[in-house]
Amino acid sequence: MTIAKIEKLDRLIEASVSAREAQTGSLLRQSYRRLRRSPMAVTGAVIVGLFVVVAILGPWIAPYDPTAQTWGREVFLNRNIFPGPRAENWFGLDHLGRDMFSRMIVGARQTLLVGVVATLIGFVAGAVIGGVAAAAGTFGGRWGERVEAVLMRTVDVALAIPMLLLALSVAALMGPSLSTVMVAVGVAQIPIFARLLRGSMLAQAHSDYVLAAVSLGVPKGRIVVSHILPNSLGPVIVQATLVLATAIIEAAALSYLGLGNPDPGSAEWGTMLADAQRFLSGAPQLAIYPAVAIIVTALGFTLLGEAMRESLDPRLRSQE
Amino acid sequence: MALLEVEDLRVAFGASTAVDGVSFAVEQGKIVGLVGESGCGKSVTSLAVMGLLPRGRAAKGRKGDQPVQAAAEEVAGGSVKAAVAAPQAVPAGGGRRRGGGADVSGRAVFDGTDLLSLPPAAMRRRRGKDLAMVFQDPLSSLNPVVPIGRQITEVLERHRGLKGDKANKEAASLLDRVGIPDPVRRLKEYPHQLSGGMRQRVLIAIAVACAPRLLIADEPTTALDVTIQAQILELLKDLVDHEGTALLMITHDLGVVAGMCDEVNVLYSGRVVESAPVRELFARPTHPYTVGLLGSIPRLDLPLHEPLTPIRGSIADVIRWKDGCAFAPRCDRVADACVAGEPALVGSAHAHRCVMAEEVA
Amino acid sequence: MSTEDHALQDESPQVPVQRTAEPELPAASADPALLEVEDLKVHFPIRRGVVVERTVGHVRAVDGVSLQVAQGGTYGLVGESGCGKTTFGRAVLRLEEPTGGRVRLGDDEVTSLKGERLRKFRSRMQMVFQDPLGSLNPRHNVDMLLSEPLKVHGVGSKEERRKLAVETLDAVGLPKTVLERFPHEFSGGQRQRLGIARALMLRPDLIVCDEPVSALDVSIQAQVMNLLDELQGEFGLTYLVIAHDLAVVRHLSDRVGVMYLGKLVEEADSESIYEHPRHPYTKALLSAVPQPDPEKEATRERIILKGDLPSPANPPSGCRFRTRCPWAQDICAEQEPEWREAASGHKVACHFDL
Ligand SMILES: Nc1ncnc2c1ncn2[C@@H]1O[C@H](COP(=O)(O)OP(=O)(O)OP(=O)(O)O)[C@@H](O)[C@H]1O
Ligand SMILES: Nc1ncnc2c1ncn2[C@@H]1O[C@H](COP(=O)(O)OP(=O)(O)OP(=O)(O)O)[C@@H](O)[C@H]1O
Ligand code: SF4
Ligand code: SF4
Ligand SMILES: [Mg+2]
Ligand SMILES: [Mg+2]
Repeated sequence: MTIAKIEKLDRLIEASVSAREAQTGSLLRQSYRRLRRSPMAVTGAVIVGLFVVVAILGPWIAPYDPTAQTWGREVFLNRNIFPGPRAENWFGLDHLGRDMFSRMIVGARQTLLVGVVATLIGFVAGAVIGGVAAAAGTFGGRWGERVEAVLMRTVDVALAIPMLLLALSVAALMGPSLSTVMVAVGVAQIPIFARLLRGSMLAQAHSDYVLAAVSLGVPKGRIVVSHILPNSLGPVIVQATLVLATAIIEAAALSYLGLGNPDPGSAEWGTMLADAQRFLSGAPQLAIYPAVAIIVTALGFTLLGEAMRESLDPRLRSQE
Repeated sequence: MALLEVEDLRVAFGASTAVDGVSFAVEQGKIVGLVGESGCGKSVTSLAVMGLLPRGRAAKGRKGDQPVQAAAEEVAGGSVKAAVAAPQAVPAGGGRRRGGGADVSGRAVFDGTDLLSLPPAAMRRRRGKDLAMVFQDPLSSLNPVVPIGRQITEVLERHRGLKGDKANKEAASLLDRVGIPDPVRRLKEYPHQLSGGMRQRVLIAIAVACAPRLLIADEPTTALDVTIQAQILELLKDLVDHEGTALLMITHDLGVVAGMCDEVNVLYSGRVVESAPVRELFARPTHPYTVGLLGSIPRLDLPLHEPLTPIRGSIADVIRWKDGCAFAPRCDRVADACVAGEPALVGSAHAHRCVMAEEVA
Repeated sequence: MSTEDHALQDESPQVPVQRTAEPELPAASADPALLEVEDLKVHFPIRRGVVVERTVGHVRAVDGVSLQVAQGGTYGLVGESGCGKTTFGRAVLRLEEPTGGRVRLGDDEVTSLKGERLRKFRSRMQMVFQDPLGSLNPRHNVDMLLSEPLKVHGVGSKEERRKLAVETLDAVGLPKTVLERFPHEFSGGQRQRLGIARALMLRPDLIVCDEPVSALDVSIQAQVMNLLDELQGEFGLTYLVIAHDLAVVRHLSDRVGVMYLGKLVEEADSESIYEHPRHPYTKALLSAVPQPDPEKEATRERIILKGDLPSPANPPSGCRFRTRCPWAQDICAEQEPEWREAASGHKVACHFDL
């Protein structure tokens, strides 16, 4: 074949390939490309992004000090009637005469902190338990199988206890505080993460590429760390996003039950919701703001998580 | 006139064209083969004829999505998941369309009516009664939670109005006909209790329940062992010989083609590149792709360790038909004429799509 | 020694697994076999029960298989789905724990190796998988895929490993530009080439190929089979090829064993087994393969077997094939046929000479 002909062929192949969808890049990049096209992911990402920005910049963008009872006079005068939204207080005032808008903004940080720390606790502890169980069960021989059985039975038992009950027990042990809420919610998530990672790792452990690694003489520890684990983390990370949503709601629930930060001055959405219940008939807006904020934030994380799950779904990957 | 005449069938998923102008005909009582490698458009062709592709303006086409799976998904509402009888099969522009729709054009004339222009409801009535399909994977084509007897009687009820005992009797005799021993007992069993070969027989029984005039078999034996494959092929041949059914046989196995088919169409990259009566094709393969395929398979009837002459490259090395011959990047005979424009299908009884064929022959 | 010299030398001394001392003799019959398997058994327990698991029986996936593979030869193992081919191949490589029997590779008893010694020994025997994509870690690029085996056996420096990877890629017909690419960016045939390259990295003696071409397109199958052929000469490999396709096995092997329900039923040189099959099962298998020739197809004599494969958990008494054998007699149900030499080098397990 002449050079010219080869070049022409190459050009034509090129044209045909670009006519089809470009299929290059790592799996991660392909997932990202799909993610960007999904309206669900974009909506979720915008909500989460906004939330995080507010949480970080909260104290600087809040118009007033969230603890200052600047308008106390107005509030204490006519009991249980609080000024609603107006020019100087966009969301109105709370029962102690504090600016609700500022409290909402500053509260975002606490809420995010609770959600993230709780999820991290669940993720790390759950992943360690699940990872150890899966690794022991797969490569640990007879003893390993026993270790796995003990770990997973324990997890199963923990999973059978209702989440709120588990969280309440932890809270009861530690006494009410913000860290109680974080630990309680985190602990309640451990079994889910443990199960998920173990299941995901076992599936990978039975795949051909792990068998190939064994047949190449790759040491067991290395197989777990460099082959099984990286390929198992995807679903767990997705789950973490979803758990963040539940963690925020649960943290709010625990605060609402009075297990949160006992300091009345602190701004946190769950606590605010709890405080608002006393004035529900007279000033429902005090409950509506934090409730809506919690729901929207949780929704944002859920949307993002679901979209991530879908974009990582191996069935949707190119099989070329 | 032939029973089924497919003319210039085109199917596109978004920007990618899966079938690019396929024409062939199937006559009553004949077996016509569609052969080609993975991804050349065999399944998409058959699904288009059956009206089982998700229709409508294509959204973003998703490559690698298995159309058969998609079809099974589409009909998942019915107890018989196979396309043979499911009335829910075509959600015209609706349903779960995660993979995006297919743009279908051309004609598929079955007994005087163009199937592609039929409204979905009319197509539904014909599917199962006039034309039926057997898929490659018998397990995923059967509903796992419904006894096979029920899956057969459902079809009998819908298309032939048989009910109760009558339907059961007919179902048992169908199972008997496809060679399942002890059919009455088997009627009560679930798909997972049957072996792969048995399941494929059940699917065939469902497909022939209403004596369709055209049967489409998409790789019916690819998932089976050779000894079981021999049984199934024998059964299909029997049906054609005794019932006069026309059979469109989709396969990648040239051995199966040689033993079964009367006419063969070789597909490459969504087009027929060679079509001929079976003996003619094997005696005088003309298109370099056909020649290459024949040189690629190890054979039991040649001397031991006869070297193979593979085709170089892979199906990813392809150019668009409108730019020239799609096979050119892999062809040994490629010349300037090959990429000078669209090569036409020449000849009638033995047709080929190669500009150099005459020179070589 | 500079890396340049090193690269020129095909048989790198850095590769500990290289046994240059091995005589480069052709597979003479007097040579002791490289691989010897004796009465290998793999039984999988069938467990029932939710809380307390009980063993209610065994799947006899491999139930006493003995065979020898000559140095530099290719042994083809054929049989239908579920007959235990894959399990046998894995047991030979100790990827599945044998229930009984012995495996010897060269002078080493593979079945008695344990722990770190077994891991080290793995460099001498490798495997090529059926599913080329599934057997490659999706997160590792070609460089990582190919250099990992060297790394874990402590072979060479980073540059040397890369050099060896490039050489091996070249041997399997892939350019070195693919080093940074990931498995999903290749076609099916190229992925199988990668799988083969990885198996070659440690320059093993034995490669077990489990259905090496059955997931590939027809035109690609031929490329891979030719490649396996070439590499055998180039690297002095011994193959155990496992496949369900009789034509593929015939093309690749010089000795062929036919397996049925965990046992060998016939074994002979390719020529004699395909020309004069002696076991009814082999005859039936061969007669069931469609030929790509309409003239021969029209006259091909077919032995259509009744029924399906019985369950390996509960094989039939006597001869395991008797439930489907067209020639079965009473004795077949009562007595297990012995594994006998029916002709020179042609072994068969059947009561009759057919
Ligand atoms: N739903 C879909 N969306 C986008 N592309 C599709 C879809 N279904 C099929 N395709 C593409 O159409 C082409 C033809 O596919 P088809 O399934 O007809 O091939 P085939 O010849 O049946 O192959 P095989 O032998 O693997 O079954 C392929 O490139 C495939 O990726
Ligand atoms: N880990 C396992 N546990 C229990 N049974 C098993 C296991 N692996 C295989 N088996 C059983 O052992 C038998 C032999 O399986 P094997 O995979 O070796 O067959 P094969 O000949 O390779 O079949 P195929 O052609 O389908 O790959 C089968 O009945 C299978 O179900
Ligand atoms: S047209 Fe040209 S490139 Fe195409 S098959 Fe014929 S000779 Fe080959
Ligand atoms: S021993 Fe009997 S049953 Fe077995 S193969 Fe021979 S004739 Fe058939
Ligand atoms: Mg197909
Ligand atoms: Mg196998």
